[in-house]
Amino acid sequence: MVRADGAEDLRVGVFVCACGLNIAASVDVEEVRKFAETLPDVAVAVLNKYTCADPGQQEIKRYILEHKLNRVVVASCSPRMHEPTFRQCVAEAGVNPYLLEMTNLREHCSWVHSTDRVAATEKAKDMVKISVARARLLESQDETEIPVTNRALVIGGGIAGIQAALDLGDAGYQVYLVEKEPSIGGIMAQLDKTYPTMDCSI
Amino acid sequence: MAQEADFKCLRCGNSFRAPYSPETEPQERACPNCKSNSVRRVKEQKEAPGKK
Amino acid sequence: MTYSEVENVTGYIGNFKVTIRKKARYVDEKECNACGDCVKVCPSCTPDEYQMGFSTRKGIYIPFPQAVPSSYLIDMKTCLGNNPIACAKCQEVCEKKCIDFDAKDEVVTVDVGAIIVAVGNDVYDPTELDEYGYRSYENVITSMEFERLICAGGPTEGHFIRPSDRTRPKSIGFIQCVGSRSKKRGNPYCSNICCMNTIKDTVLLKDHYPDTDVKVFYMDIRAFGKGFEDLYMKSKDEGVHYVRGLPGEVEENPETGNLIVTVENTTTGKIEKHELELLVLSVGLLPRKDSDVVRQLLTLSRTSDGFLMESHPKLKPVDAPTRGVFLAGCAEAPKDVKDSVTQASAAAARANVILASDKLTVEAITAHIDPDLCKYCGLCVKVCPYKAITPTDRKKKIAPQVIEAACAGCGTCGAECPFDSISMRHFTDAQIYAQIDAILDTNSQDKVVVFACNWCSYAGGDFAGISRLQYPVSNRLIRTMCSGRVKDEFVLYAFRKGAPVVLVSGCHFADCHYIDANRQTQLRVEKLWDKLEKNGIRPERLQLEWISAAEGQKFAVVMKAVEELRQKVTAEEIEHTKEVLAPKPKKKPVEEAASSA
Repeated sequence: MVRADGAEDLRVGVFVCACGLNIAASVDVEEVRKFAETLPDVAVAVLNKYTCADPGQQEIKRYILEHKLNRVVVASCSPRMHEPTFRQCVAEAGVNPYLLEMTNLREHCSWVHSTDRVAATEKAKDMVKISVARARLLESQDETEIPVTNRALVIGGGIAGIQAALDLGDAGYQVYLVEKEPSIGGIMAQLDKTYPTMDCSI
Repeated sequence: MAQEADFKCLRCGNSFRAPYSPETEPQERACPNCKSNSVRRVKEQKEAPGKK
Repeated sequence: MTYSEVENVTGYIGNFKVTIRKKARYVDEKECNACGDCVKVCPSCTPDEYQMGFSTRKGIYIPFPQAVPSSYLIDMKTCLGNNPIACAKCQEVCEKKCIDFDAKDEVVTVDVGAIIVAVGNDVYDPTELDEYGYRSYENVITSMEFERLICAGGPTEGHFIRPSDRTRPKSIGFIQCVGSRSKKRGNPYCSNICCMNTIKDTVLLKDHYPDTDVKVFYMDIRAFGKGFEDLYMKSKDEGVHYVRGLPGEVEENPETGNLIVTVENTTTGKIEKHELELLVLSVGLLPRKDSDVVRQLLTLSRTSDGFLMESHPKLKPVDAPTRGVFLAGCAEAPKDVKDSVTQASAAAARANVILASDKLTVEAITAHIDPDLCKYCGLCVKVCPYKAITPTDRKKKIAPQVIEAACAGCGTCGAECPFDSISMRHFTDAQIYAQIDAILDTNSQDKVVVFACNWCSYAGGDFAGISRLQYPVSNRLIRTMCSGRVKDEFVLYAFRKGAPVVLVSGCHFADCHYIDANRQTQLRVEKLWDKLEKNGIRPERLQLEWISAAEGQKFAVVMKAVEELRQKVTAEEIEHTKEVLAPKPKKKPVEEAASSA
């Protein structure tokens, strides 16, 4: 496999997030930042109070431009939460979104090792090291575009299904509403009156 | 047909019998003692060693 | 499409292909004008489901007068038969000639871009709670049965009577939390609607029959919605007695059919006995049993209560974990009409985001096959859960190809390929080896290498974090999209580099986000156990765990367990492992996998 940017020097930026005290309370974030500076190909390591907030994102963009970063490691929270945020952030500064790597210092370290600051900090450093190792091998990717069929399926013809189907229908889409029973209505149709208004269910 | 086989938990060491049929493998299993999914079937001696 | 069921779903966001079976109604729903002539001549009867069995319906019927479509249908289980036609009286009297005994199920396929799952819920059956005597005593009914008895469209046209002697009960009791909030029987969760439903019922009763003595036995009244407290106060003002305490026993007076309820009133601390003419069990809601088919077709997960899991409990409450699928109503959790409508509109709005765009992007995490390295074995084609790899031809030396739009990026093909000819974009072998190196090149003896799948076990770790569960620091996670990505060589490489313990973790079988890719995970781990044992390595050092996104607790337990195992691994053992797994001269690690394939 040939790296698309094989000729280029690797310049990794590491952004360590304190997340207020969510991370900083049990991890010495400054020590993690200093450690990150010693890792191979790391051009700069920065500490943010809240990396995901606007000032934090602005800082990432500024460092990307100033230090010509071509890999970004954000050591904050779960990629399941903020990967889209930071992918967009680096893309806005001209770095392919797939050149971003996240280290889950919050969910997988500070929150679960809150009683041993030394051990948590050591683990955090190790986690950043693992991320940098991966980040160095990340490659730019282009996302594939796929067409969208402008029709919807609603499974279940109770009150929820009916409402969803009506809304989508009103929005102008063709909707298939599939109901297992011979009539739509669901359980609500079996009720007499409904609270809090005490009006009829059907 | 309710076939069974011997299993061993690789976390707590518990040995137990559980339903097993080659056709329906793989199956998710949990140790009845410690709930671990590291459950390994204890293979009978006579089984063909050549396969491995 | 009513009387229809989803049979199959293939495809992905923006491009689902759905197969729907329209069951035969034997009555042309477009032609039928619901005159009802057919019903008069139909000789067969069955309990009416809509009326909770309080009355009967015929073999040809309309589910309820306001049914949509407003058309009759024949229930073949009740009908005397269509093969051969045994009776056909309905056909003779139907003026519009819309009854067709030869009607067949119809299977249609539709293309859609988004799917909303609103499969609803089941209602708890309190038979197992024998202290309440449901089914033993005629005058113990459920809240659903109550609805039919008080409804003007019900079997009694709204004249409220009790089952045993068809007289109007003068004293009525309600028991709350039946099947809910109990760790022992029924379900541990609160069913959300039952408090307000009972309050509504008491107001209705007081409205229709002010002289009725109404009592409610409860543990807490949860009236937290807009206008809910008002209704509760109204109920109290109208003289409904609220007794704090759930009855321990219900007995029937066989002479009168009345029920004697024994309850500890927890406000006064006294044991009380109440004689009531009718007892209503306020039953909870259950996840819908028959929704499992839909759940599996759409690769959705359940939370521990059995309801469908949302993508994120706060930020994506109507998105399902599968892209392009949304949840609405009681399929996701017990909720009332207002909340169902709210969530349904939210789901529609979320679906609209997809439907309103002509094109979407898919994450660039798909597989790529290098035809130069391929040896045409076809293993990748076999293990692909999405049939996204075109067939291979060994004779003609045609290498398989990945259909990019259908590939979901699980990586199980990459793990299976014995020739390293498949690369996974964004989760390459090289990247994963680099992560293993980074974990193990210092203090390797203190660490446990954990492979975690993005959707479940990694998310379970996130949930453990959100729940602030504490566990040992030894674990180091490597995230892959699916546990099926974990190549046997990754595990062997970690052991070779000195890992004391390796854990492979993924979704429970039923929850796999790549249909069934994690079956391959288990097969690979089983093979690895054999291989380790053959080499004199304790197979215990390779652990396998299925951890769902909701199982933060299990994640923490597993992390403790692997740490305990790690402590038992000796330095000599690790050295021995390094030696026996050391690559043989001139042979690449690839050879091992190839020979076992």
